[in-house]
Amino acid sequence: MQPDAAVLVAALALPFVAVPFVPALFRVVGQRVAFFAAAVAAGSFGLLATQYGAHGAVQLPWIPSLGVSLTLYVDGLALLIGFLASGVGVLVFTYSYGYMAHEHGHVKYYATLLAFMGSMLGVAFAADLLALFVFWELTSVTSFLLIGHHQREDASQYAARKSMLITVAGGLFMLAGFLVLAFASGDTAAGRTFVLIGTENSLIANGEAVREALRAAGLFVPALALVAVGAITKSAQAPFHVWLPNAMEAPTPVSAFLHSATMVKAGVYLVGRFRPLFAPELPSVPEWTLLLATLGLVSMTITAILAVGATDIKELLAYSTASHLGLIIAGYGLAGPAAVELGAETGAFHIFNHAVFKATLFLVAGIIAHEAHTRKLEELGGLAGDLPIVAGITGIAALGMAGVPPFNGFWSKELLFETTYFVAVEHGGLYWLYPAIAVFGSVFTFLYSIRFLMLFFGDRPSGLADDIHRPPLAMLAPPALLAAIALATGIVPQLGIDAVVQSAFEASLPVAAEAHSLTLSIPKLFSFTPYLGMSLLTVGLGAVAYPFYGRLHAGVRWARAVDYTSPNWYYDGLTEGANGVSRRLAVGLHGGAFRTYVAPLLLGTAVLALAGYAAAGSISVDGVGAVPPVPLIVVLGVAVVGAGAVARAPSHIAGVLTLSVLGFMVAIVFILANAPDLALTQLVIETLVLVLFLLVLDRLPAYYGEIRSRARGIADAALASLVGFTVFATVLVATSASPEEPIFQYFLARAGVPAEHGPFFSDFGGGSNVVNVILVDFRAFDTLGEIAVVAMAALSVLTLVGMRAQTETEMAERPESDSADDPAATPATDGGRGPPPASADDPAPSDGTDGSGGVDR
Amino acid sequence: MAELVLALALGTLFAIGTFLVLRRDIVRVVWGVAIISQAANLFLVTMGFGLTGDPAADAPVLTAGEGAMYADPLVQALVLTAIVIGFGTTAFALVLSYRVYEENGTIDLVDLASSPFEGPAARAGEARADGGEPTADDGRSEVADRPAADDAADGGDH
Repeated sequence: MQPDAAVLVAALALPFVAVPFVPALFRVVGQRVAFFAAAVAAGSFGLLATQYGAHGAVQLPWIPSLGVSLTLYVDGLALLIGFLASGVGVLVFTYSYGYMAHEHGHVKYYATLLAFMGSMLGVAFAADLLALFVFWELTSVTSFLLIGHHQREDASQYAARKSMLITVAGGLFMLAGFLVLAFASGDTAAGRTFVLIGTENSLIANGEAVREALRAAGLFVPALALVAVGAITKSAQAPFHVWLPNAMEAPTPVSAFLHSATMVKAGVYLVGRFRPLFAPELPSVPEWTLLLATLGLVSMTITAILAVGATDIKELLAYSTASHLGLIIAGYGLAGPAAVELGAETGAFHIFNHAVFKATLFLVAGIIAHEAHTRKLEELGGLAGDLPIVAGITGIAALGMAGVPPFNGFWSKELLFETTYFVAVEHGGLYWLYPAIAVFGSVFTFLYSIRFLMLFFGDRPSGLADDIHRPPLAMLAPPALLAAIALATGIVPQLGIDAVVQSAFEASLPVAAEAHSLTLSIPKLFSFTPYLGMSLLTVGLGAVAYPFYGRLHAGVRWARAVDYTSPNWYYDGLTEGANGVSRRLAVGLHGGAFRTYVAPLLLGTAVLALAGYAAAGSISVDGVGAVPPVPLIVVLGVAVVGAGAVARAPSHIAGVLTLSVLGFMVAIVFILANAPDLALTQLVIETLVLVLFLLVLDRLPAYYGEIRSRARGIADAALASLVGFTVFATVLVATSASPEEPIFQYFLARAGVPAEHGPFFSDFGGGSNVVNVILVDFRAFDTLGEIAVVAMAALSVLTLVGMRAQTETEMAERPESDSADDPAATPATDGGRGPPPASADDPAPSDGTDGSGGVDR
Repeated sequence: MAELVLALALGTLFAIGTFLVLRRDIVRVVWGVAIISQAANLFLVTMGFGLTGDPAADAPVLTAGEGAMYADPLVQALVLTAIVIGFGTTAFALVLSYRVYEENGTIDLVDLASSPFEGPAARAGEARADGGEPTADDGRSEVADRPAADDAADGGDH
């Protein structure tokens, strides 16, 4: 079934279109605007549901001249992400109605969350690399706003900046990777394209040719690494996982939505999407596996260990999210003959499972924080008595996260064990590390999952509040629904597989591969396999280790305190160091003296221009032209001598007079060049400038020209010579070539009156002097700009002179004023500004501020 | 054909202009800018046009007809605009220099810069001294202002 373009665009545009209505609706219905947002999400979900089973691309032209089009592509993977974004969106908006009741900034919150949802749908369905990048960065920007929701708090600001810097920087790496891919595709028969998938010429459809072109240019591994950096920064993989725990400053529904179910999934989605391009079916292990599977497994283990060291329930969930994303990346990363299909199954199934159980747990964490007023692990315990339903929900989700059979997370983790096992069996040797690391990391996953579950059991700590209420329905229903889905998937995994997972994993297979249908069911558990053994080993080791959780926790906290192994330490050092550097740079460049601005600018321009000529090899000049006529040489000589005299002038008056020698010589050059209009203008202007200079100089002190130090004089002369040489070279280059068809031919042909014309004509100038016609007709806007500049200059001159008079009178009133010491405090700014007159007629000043401040409250 | 003589002349003019722009006397800086702008105009005229008398490079102005050669009309129009704008700039720069002298009593750019600009550093330092909570400060001062304003209003009533 082909996707319907209109429905698809409507589903994507709906959240963005809804954003402007949020402020207005908030004024009318107040916090119930949450349900409007939920309805929008449901609308997008419904529209996408009509595309269920569709497969194919839709193209809308965007920048046709660059070959960029908005290409949307629908397949199982895109629909999986799309359903998660909109479906979890409905639940999160509903939940927010309860959670955000006592918070502020609702308009900003709901509008940004809607925009985020739209961006996420865009990421899922964009098949064009540039469109994908734009939506990708939009999710970073909206995430920045949402993490910084409590914008007055330092921790929120720090967290928002950190996530923005890391994910946007990663996105730029990804963009570079995209450009490499697009340019490599230019060397293939299909031609350059930005379309990733879905059309005949797309990168994935021509995967073999694109890979060969990349390898021929030696760009295969760089392109892979660049795209991977984008994915792992977004998905918070080690060592870029550090932004995710800080991002927990966001309101909890945001964490549930962005930092478990959707935004961080963009990275793993990218990995799944690019898998057919970078990981072909080869007899050997591709670079893809070495890079991504290793990184995913290591990251999964490190962050699982860090989660054991967490003291805050949201921090625990954040590290756990990074860990599970590592599992998904490892799944997609494992490729090669043994794993090509199993790996994709692992990735797709765990995307689904993780979104379901982790969103549930975040919502539960929100309920706990909301009702028990603390998020500290050690202050919580034995909550099952107060919150029995929540305890049941948590049990389902946490056991799924732990990978205990038969809960949902078990099935996808089992697939990972199976994949690593087969890769190890096939390649042997060091590849046995893959299953070993997978089991080792999963033990920690089991440990922290059980720790989270134990919030509801055991003893109640004495400090815990007595008045823990059950949450409102709006906060209870969403996690309950998600837990029900998790439970159903756990008991009958085939339900989830048939619904979305089967088609989603097919999207990550090599183009030509035939997909088998994945079947999983409980009866399969009764036949022993090595990977079932791995699962049981994980649970067994975890159960043995759990009594020592306290010691492990303390050990991890101790290890975390070491500076040099902590990415946070490097991040903070880098950002603080950059602050210092830019501060010093600003002071250095902003010296205040005119020459400190001019010299670097001229030097840079000259060096760049000369380097450009050298690089382009255009210094080669086609011989020296004919010697100009003698009068021209004489006039130019006089002009240069005049300019030299200006530089050496002993007084201002002498300088101005020699300057006008130069000006009149230029006028004569114009005459010799047969440019009468220029010569006339130059003569008039030169006379005016002379008069103006003399008027002003009359009021200025005589002389400040001495060169203070010899070194400075030499440096200035060197810079001046360099600039002069640059101009010399430029003139040689510019005059040694002339265009084939000069533009002026057009103006010559069109400036006059046509041979045959009616009373009116608009395609000819109708003048007798082509220069005049150009000024007032062809380039009339230039002339308009020129007049505007002169008018502004005249107004400024008038203003400056007018201010002068005022200042002078005031200076006369204030004897012995040394205004040079304090240029800022001129009398003009102080004048007439006493304390504001207190008047009873004035309205109370608070009226205005209340009206403007009410928008967000 | 490359115009060696023009290139030499223009290079020298630009060098002299640059040297003047780097001086500490503000009037000399204005001269430097004026020289550079004159030279740039010359350069534009040179670009298209044969001052060498090469008939193939010269262009006739429309109705002057009969073999008379003129410089490229488009370049003439551009330079004409540039001359006038150069005049506006020079006039403004001169009056500004005058104004600077009125305010500061000097036209020496080094003296003018002697109280060095330390904007970003100073401001950043202040922000750190405040504990980085300018917004909170604003809120407080707003609250503090209101009663004062009310008092003043009351005073007016009495």
